[in-house]
Amino acid sequence: MADDAFLAGFMDDYFVECEEHLATIRRLLLVLDAGVGQPAVQPQALDELFRAFHSIKGISGMVELREAEMLAHHMESYLRALRARETQLSDAGIDALIRGVDALEQTIAARRDATPPPAVDLVVRELAAVAPEAGGPRAAAPAAAASAALASWRVTFVPSAALLARGVNVDMVRARLRDTGTIVDATPLVTPEGVAFEFMFAGDLAPETAAAWAGDGIRVEAVAEPGPVPFDGAAASPMDGSARVATSHVVRVDLGKLDDVMRIIGDMVISRARLDGALAAAEAALPPAIWRQIQENTQTIERQLRDLREGVMRLRLVPVGEIFRRMPFVVRDLARETGTQVRLELRGQETEIDKFLIERMMDPVLHLVRNAVSHGFEPAAVRAAAGKPAEGTLTLAAASVGESVVLEIADDGRGIDAAAVAAKARALGFPLPEGPLDAATLLDLLCAPGFSTRDETDRASGRGVGMGVVKTTVEELNGSMTLQTAPGEGTRFVIELPLTLSITDALIAHVGERVFAVPQGAVREVIEIAPAAIRRIEGHEIAPFRGGTLPIVRLGRVFGVPERAGRALHVFVVGAGVDAVGIAVDRIAGQREIVVRGMADALIKVDGVSGATDLGDGRVVLILDLPALARRGRRLAPGASVAPRPGVEAR
Amino acid sequence: MTEPFILFTVAGTTYALRSRDVAHVEMVDQVTAVPNAAHFVDGVVFSRGQVVPALNLRARFGFDKAPTDLSTRLLVVRDGARTVGLVVDAAREFVPIDPAAIQPPSAALTGLSGRYLEGVANIGDRLILVLNLAATLTFEDPVLEPHT
Repeated sequence: MADDAFLAGFMDDYFVECEEHLATIRRLLLVLDAGVGQPAVQPQALDELFRAFHSIKGISGMVELREAEMLAHHMESYLRALRARETQLSDAGIDALIRGVDALEQTIAARRDATPPPAVDLVVRELAAVAPEAGGPRAAAPAAAASAALASWRVTFVPSAALLARGVNVDMVRARLRDTGTIVDATPLVTPEGVAFEFMFAGDLAPETAAAWAGDGIRVEAVAEPGPVPFDGAAASPMDGSARVATSHVVRVDLGKLDDVMRIIGDMVISRARLDGALAAAEAALPPAIWRQIQENTQTIERQLRDLREGVMRLRLVPVGEIFRRMPFVVRDLARETGTQVRLELRGQETEIDKFLIERMMDPVLHLVRNAVSHGFEPAAVRAAAGKPAEGTLTLAAASVGESVVLEIADDGRGIDAAAVAAKARALGFPLPEGPLDAATLLDLLCAPGFSTRDETDRASGRGVGMGVVKTTVEELNGSMTLQTAPGEGTRFVIELPLTLSITDALIAHVGERVFAVPQGAVREVIEIAPAAIRRIEGHEIAPFRGGTLPIVRLGRVFGVPERAGRALHVFVVGAGVDAVGIAVDRIAGQREIVVRGMADALIKVDGVSGATDLGDGRVVLILDLPALARRGRRLAPGASVAPRPGVEAR
Repeated sequence: MTEPFILFTVAGTTYALRSRDVAHVEMVDQVTAVPNAAHFVDGVVFSRGQVVPALNLRARFGFDKAPTDLSTRLLVVRDGARTVGLVVDAAREFVPIDPAAIQPPSAALTGLSGRYLEGVANIGDRLILVLNLAATLTFEDPVLEPHT
């Protein structure tokens, strides 16, 4: 039991389990919140909450996280009183629960991150105050109750082959316990090392007995208070039944293991591409029939790899609601603190996204939400004068669009004062062009290190991450972020993320000696242009295209790479209509499936490059960021209006 | 109390980094240039499946870059969440150094690399410059790309 690896594995399991219970708790607290003041609130919700706290209490005790155990205990006590209708759910009660859950979550997170645990005394007192039968010394120090006449014990049994050989199995443990007292509750625990069993046990257990049992892999621990009350039969049994069914059909997999599988698939994609290359080279040397047969086989493998990849990706998808679920509490707390009236609207919670992405996006989304609540809304009087509802609306929406997921954090508040941002930026010495800021520059400024529109660090939004981290995170995940804001109308952040860590189809482009990969999704069309067709106007190049003109950006010139002279250029057309821009390269040489790897380090983050890949020879090939290159083209295009396009302008 | 350091040379001078900051040492091959990156960034390489910037310490310290040869090494270092490769002329030795024996660098002793130093240590008759990793990797002048 004391084995470190075992404990580490067990702790992982503990954190995962706590996370699940906490998610349930947060969902149910919202249900309760709606029922404040009513005589009997949602008995089912109370039961479920009680069970969740009880579970956290139990497992926290096992990992000896006493603060968590104590917090869960107090909340469990309050819920027990509510279930028994000894007290009524009050506003104070809900607040105490919410703060208790926050403290519980922080306590668990502190253990996970090996940081100092938060102070919980205040919260515990608050909880004790609302629970009628708690509040005495027993509540403050649950361990003191352990000497009750019929003591409660938590008994853990870890089976092993060696024990089994001696005839010690779980049935025998159960029989021993029954002989000595009563088994109140039994829970099998799945640990990475195998199965363990936890019994809540009430009985008169002599220390000698416990010591004798220890040799048989049975660990006995006194429990703080009399064992949990078994749930009233009718209500509890269907729940228990469904829980058991769910457990047997759901496999909990460490994300790292899925990553390993994904990495192997990525390697296979590259190996297959190599095989394809070798096969192309061998075409002349092989009899045509045999060559075709091999080629058909590699194509089949390609298709199968694609299916395999999609299958594994689907395993990683979880509903975006995981991020959203905690937001109502954040908004509620912060709105109360800042005296803002905010209604939170959640949309598209069922949208699925990669688990890894969701975890990385949690803090950035939290930051944007906090920012919006703290600074986004005008005072109610100002809103009313402007003809807006006194209560502000904060919308959190998610939707899948093709192979991406779009997250939107929007408020109908005061909007961002672009002029003030520009003035401050100039004062800080950021180089800025004259004239009004476009939305992209505004966003860049807000995300620039050392830039904040508030002079003092705001308590709520200054916590943890800043806008810079939001941007970096999005970019590291190969996503993009845009901003729309207008004074008096509100602010909208739109974050587009790939559905999953990407493998994507790309076109391979050559410029001089250099090779680049171009994600196909960004390419509207590929055209060929004779050098003679390109005209220069005011130092910029344009080419005729569909009866109009197309601004041309020569990649070689942007990147300072010598181009091959003379022959026709291959051009990627990006954007449509008046926004269309052509990115010219020497030659487009085929299409490949590429594994996208991020390039987020400041040393190598350059405009026009979004990441890197490997085409099978171990060499890094840069992935072009066509939209960024196209933006450059639009800026340079002769006659292009200096003002940003309508709809994205930060006025 | 001594700590293992890895010694490497850049333009004839011996430098040291804590070996716990060095993930591994590789031969340098196939660096892909990154257009418009800083002059001291040679480009990017794959190191154990990760895309890693290759920072040329000669250029970083104000010397001319040297062509890659058989002794050129890539020191893959970790600083917080960052992983960066340092291109050095050679890296061959591990030595234990007592951190207490590291003296602050004298301004007269060092050139441009002075601002990247944690201190100076004497090992036998050798003078070794101990690198301040964070300062070396800091990208001091983040220029905001104007969008209009």
